[in-house]
Amino acid sequence: MMKDLLKIKKLPVNRYIDIAVFLALILFPLFVTEFRVDQMCRVLVYIVFALSIDLLWGFTGLMSFGHAVLFGTGGYIVALSYTLIKGLPWHMQGAGYTRIPAVLTPLLSPAIAFVLALAVPGLIAWILGIFIFSSKVKGVFFSLITLALAQIFQTFLDGQQVLLNGSSGLGGLPRSILGSGAIPRMGFYYILLGVVLLVYVFCLWLISSRFGAVLQAIRENEPRLTFLGYRPNRFKTAVYVISGMLAGLAGVLYIPTVRIITPLEVGVTLSTLLLVWVAVGGRGNLTGAIVGTIFVNWAGFLLSEKISDYWLLVLGIVVLLLVFFIPSGLVGKLIEMQYARQHARHKNAALDGEVLS
Amino acid sequence: MFLQLLTNGVNYAAVLFLMAIGLVIIMGHMKIVNLAHGELIMVGAYVSYYVSTVLKLPYILAVFGGFFVSGLLGLIIGLIIRRLYGKLAETLLATFAFSLIIQQGVRLIAGPRSQNVNIPLNGTLMLGNMRVPYYNLVIISVALLVLLLTWLLLHKTKIGKQIRAVTENRAMTDCLGINTQRVDMVTFTYGTGLAGLAGAVLAPRSTVTFAMGVQFLTESFLNVVVGGIDSIFGTALSSVLIGESLTFIGGYWNDVIAKVLVFLLIIILIRFKPEGLFTKERR
Repeated sequence: MMKDLLKIKKLPVNRYIDIAVFLALILFPLFVTEFRVDQMCRVLVYIVFALSIDLLWGFTGLMSFGHAVLFGTGGYIVALSYTLIKGLPWHMQGAGYTRIPAVLTPLLSPAIAFVLALAVPGLIAWILGIFIFSSKVKGVFFSLITLALAQIFQTFLDGQQVLLNGSSGLGGLPRSILGSGAIPRMGFYYILLGVVLLVYVFCLWLISSRFGAVLQAIRENEPRLTFLGYRPNRFKTAVYVISGMLAGLAGVLYIPTVRIITPLEVGVTLSTLLLVWVAVGGRGNLTGAIVGTIFVNWAGFLLSEKISDYWLLVLGIVVLLLVFFIPSGLVGKLIEMQYARQHARHKNAALDGEVLS
Repeated sequence: MFLQLLTNGVNYAAVLFLMAIGLVIIMGHMKIVNLAHGELIMVGAYVSYYVSTVLKLPYILAVFGGFFVSGLLGLIIGLIIRRLYGKLAETLLATFAFSLIIQQGVRLIAGPRSQNVNIPLNGTLMLGNMRVPYYNLVIISVALLVLLLTWLLLHKTKIGKQIRAVTENRAMTDCLGINTQRVDMVTFTYGTGLAGLAGAVLAPRSTVTFAMGVQFLTESFLNVVVGGIDSIFGTALSSVLIGESLTFIGGYWNDVIAKVLVFLLIIILIRFKPEGLFTKERR
């Protein structure tokens, strides 16, 4: 009994925060208006997205500026599937189609669309990984290339007038999952929360596995890992694929939540803001991604009601201050403080001549 | 058709070169990726709007004005982020923060509406069937001039020698009693100033809005990836390469496919030449 208690005490501070956050999220819809619940649904989707980039950036040190590409790919596949199930959309009728082309018929099955929405982002990440990581491209070039990719993806979607309705995007989508009927708002919120919890547990399991240890070793000292006989490239590609599939999953969830998808929503802006969420919360500990996403998004929702897009000016100043004064992020700072306190306590205990277990 | 596309491509190459050169100088010298680069181009474009369209002053003043205003902003940014030197993620985040601040700051001052800048030199040169607007010739000349002046600055002046010395070996240069921080600031100001100059020169050809920066940024980045960060001639050559391919594929097919194809080619390229096409093999 005593032993178990000691074990709990040894948990890092951020795991308590996780528990508190999840409890708060469970209770949240009971106290607010429907509009706020809808907003929180969007944040829950973004949390899945933020956890995916935390695996890639926080734990492996690969700063992707184009993660919205994978998010958007997953989202657009499901959105197209929903649209086609409703019947031949008008933007395709206008281009002279009288029936759904054979290539797109697999998307009429929600299950196949779901699998594709995870597999295609994974495939994109895999191909990019093979080309980028196998060469000696240094960290910063990965960021440059992925940012360029985000821009080109947005341009590409804008140009797909016939299939994806260009810059107006695909809208009027139902709040349903895997071909179910329309799900009531509250039920949908808790389904999303369940998915977030599953993804969180999966990430926690992944980073505490041997695989996760290698990832963090890549971040800390890649040459040394190579000397030890590992092939960092394969691990980098693998984590990029996993992260890409999670981003695709977030994209899938985005569709029934927001019920419209446009190129602007999954472009460069989302890719860079994603990094800001994780940076504000603190990268490389999962909690930071969750807390940062909730914090920045709600600040955005509430401030933009008052000062519209000028809240981005506030965000810019906050990020700047953060980089200089709390570079490890809000949660990262707490973890550092806990570590420093424990360290001091051990030192004191040693000075008092006590035996340390 | 072929010759027309060829000359259009030269013009596009000049545009790409002007957009990227400032970024390359800063990246090559300080290893800092300036995400606010696109916004500094935007500031240059706004300066040219105010000088030439609102105040009706000669266009050449707009170009110098763009250089000085963006250079000054760049100097401020440089002085602030100096402390983050060598930290990749932090400098990226900080310069991204600056890009947000400049973007919304300009929106606050100049308003959210987009503006147009009159082309200072109208008319078209007819060469047989080819149409070359006179302003294209201006852009190409400015690009060549910037290339020449930058080369002269780096190779024929004292500060240029110091810049190259710091690029080669920062610690050693420091030991020789050269104020490397001052050299850094000069480089940063010059690089960001060139962004403003590019903005001023390109403003008549684009719609000037507070959100225009991001498109410049990505095209410059692709240029950096192909040309490497070691030499300004690498940047010039990769500008020609990317400019011509985009124009030709765009001319015979369409612009979106051109961008996607060129991007894919670049991804394949870096698999085999990660340091960029025009970089000498390092030992």
